[in-house]
Amino acid sequence: MILNRLEIAINAAVSAGDLLMDHYGKVYGIKNKESLRDVVSEIDELSESKVMSILQESDPGCTVLTEEKGLIGPDSDSRWIVDALDGTVNYIHNIPFFCVSISYWVDNRPSIGAIYNPYSGDIYYAEKGVGCFVNQKRLHLLDVELGNNLTAMAFSGKAYNPSMRSTEFGIFGQLNDLSQGCLRTGSAAMNLSYLSHGKFSLVMGKANKLWDVAAGLLIAEEAGADVKFNMTDKQKHLVDYIAATPSSKKKIYTDIDMSYFDL
Amino acid sequence: MKNKILVYGAGAIGRGYIPWIFPSDRYELSFVENNSELRGLLQKQKEFTTYRTKSGQYVKLICEFKDCFDLGEEDPTDYDGIITAVGARQVYALIDSLSNVDCPIVLFENDSKIPLELSELTGKSNIYFGVPDVITSNTAPAEMLEQDPLSIVTEDGVCFVEDGAVDLGGDISYVSQEELSKQWTAKLYLHNTPHCIAAYLGAMHGKTYLHESMARDSIYSIVEGAMNEMSRTLIQLFDLDKEFVEWYSKKELARFSNVLLYDPVLRVAREPFRKLGLHDRLIGAAQLSLSVGVMPNNLTLGIMSAFLYDEEHDEDFHIKILMNSLEKEKFLKLIINVNPHEALYKLLVKKWDESIDTLKGI
Repeated sequence: MILNRLEIAINAAVSAGDLLMDHYGKVYGIKNKESLRDVVSEIDELSESKVMSILQESDPGCTVLTEEKGLIGPDSDSRWIVDALDGTVNYIHNIPFFCVSISYWVDNRPSIGAIYNPYSGDIYYAEKGVGCFVNQKRLHLLDVELGNNLTAMAFSGKAYNPSMRSTEFGIFGQLNDLSQGCLRTGSAAMNLSYLSHGKFSLVMGKANKLWDVAAGLLIAEEAGADVKFNMTDKQKHLVDYIAATPSSKKKIYTDIDMSYFDL
Repeated sequence: MKNKILVYGAGAIGRGYIPWIFPSDRYELSFVENNSELRGLLQKQKEFTTYRTKSGQYVKLICEFKDCFDLGEEDPTDYDGIITAVGARQVYALIDSLSNVDCPIVLFENDSKIPLELSELTGKSNIYFGVPDVITSNTAPAEMLEQDPLSIVTEDGVCFVEDGAVDLGGDISYVSQEELSKQWTAKLYLHNTPHCIAAYLGAMHGKTYLHESMARDSIYSIVEGAMNEMSRTLIQLFDLDKEFVEWYSKKELARFSNVLLYDPVLRVAREPFRKLGLHDRLIGAAQLSLSVGVMPNNLTLGIMSAFLYDEEHDEDFHIKILMNSLEKEKFLKLIINVNPHEALYKLLVKKWDESIDTLKGI
């Protein structure tokens, strides 16, 4: 059967997610990358191989940007963007908040997104202009105010502009006080999925890796969130973003100095 | 002085059936309709034609109504009774509108849980469940539509409502909750179950109307088989009278085949995920039949035909995306929420390919 790109994304996310669950709770070789919490395990690479094999079989000759192996295939502005395990630190510590994130971008904008949390069995998926869903349910974000819900923030890597870390923590604190709490969950993709599901009212991040948020930005937008993002480096691998209910976004721009974010 | 009734939804039940049970000599009807095209036409015409099929013929009724509002324009506190017939998913949009109403509110929404949920959400105790045991098309034959583009066709049905709403009056049987529960069970499993199976099978074979679907022998046979499986199940489960159930089943098959109704397949098949709910007319029906040892062979084919529903304009169009993307085990577990330890899960997995082949061959 020939699958369309959304079907390919869902199929690959769920297949890789099953593999993650097969290995969940077992110890694997762990290597540090940029910092103590920027780690890669053998399972990241296994999961990525699984996704790659499905993408290359279902969409021959495609271009794929992955977390572990970088750009694969011909240089093209139409490309798959894959994080085969977002939330690796959670995963290796047996905290069930991780996912597979797969998206398809055209001209630096997302057109397809699928995120699968294999522990909960939730598949979030969206197509530009079509809508956003979790499993069988269509998602429509209600305009819940900032003070009536949770929020989440994903931090930049430790190596990214260390002199500004206190600014980042300051914003985190302000957001924590303006809402029912600001979480640092360890998975930016899941943050955006939870926003689409109404569990968070605002999600933002500084210098996050594109593969972490590539699917989630579309999923949040298609659910009705107000989404703004900007790729801030020459390679277009680092993203500043805010995704929120309209009233939450308005509130944060009134109450917090957002100039730290390049939006 | 006439009683004033506000009807949310001017679709099949609202326009086709309500005028017959609230006749114009005693009731003044107004509608709330959020489809702007339909609302515009109603506001322009101030009346519409509903046809009732009886003894193989049409009986015509021209319904003159007072107002037709967009949602939010109406004042529901200004009425003696409220009826909703907007669809099981859409009714939740009415929570704000219904929260200040003290007159009886009757929900014709094909889901017995909704009145309880809405009562909790609104804090109101005047919300009642109603079971219009009737097939109402949302359209009419071309010659009727030429005379009146708002024409609609309904059966000569019966209507049961909880007796708490008796002040509403009308040509309605007001019954106890226990009796209503029995009527709902019969309607859900002896009417809704085979009705939607006929629609899904018809959709697979490009049929436009239910009677066209039922005219195909292979489809009729599966629908009749599903009906028999449910009849045997209900007799065992609820100690229903065998003769009553057999009579009801035979009547239902004739209703589905009614060539005067022009009941669209798209209307009956819409929102397959809702119909595939764990306690609804397909999965719920098959679970019940297995629970009393009746093998749901035809029900399984009906369930598979719903899984294969392919209608790009349906609210649940993404069922096709998920069927294409996922292995059958994942689809059943994650999307339909059937537990892998259950007999129905094992049966559906075992019969998956065989059922698809059978459905392609009918």
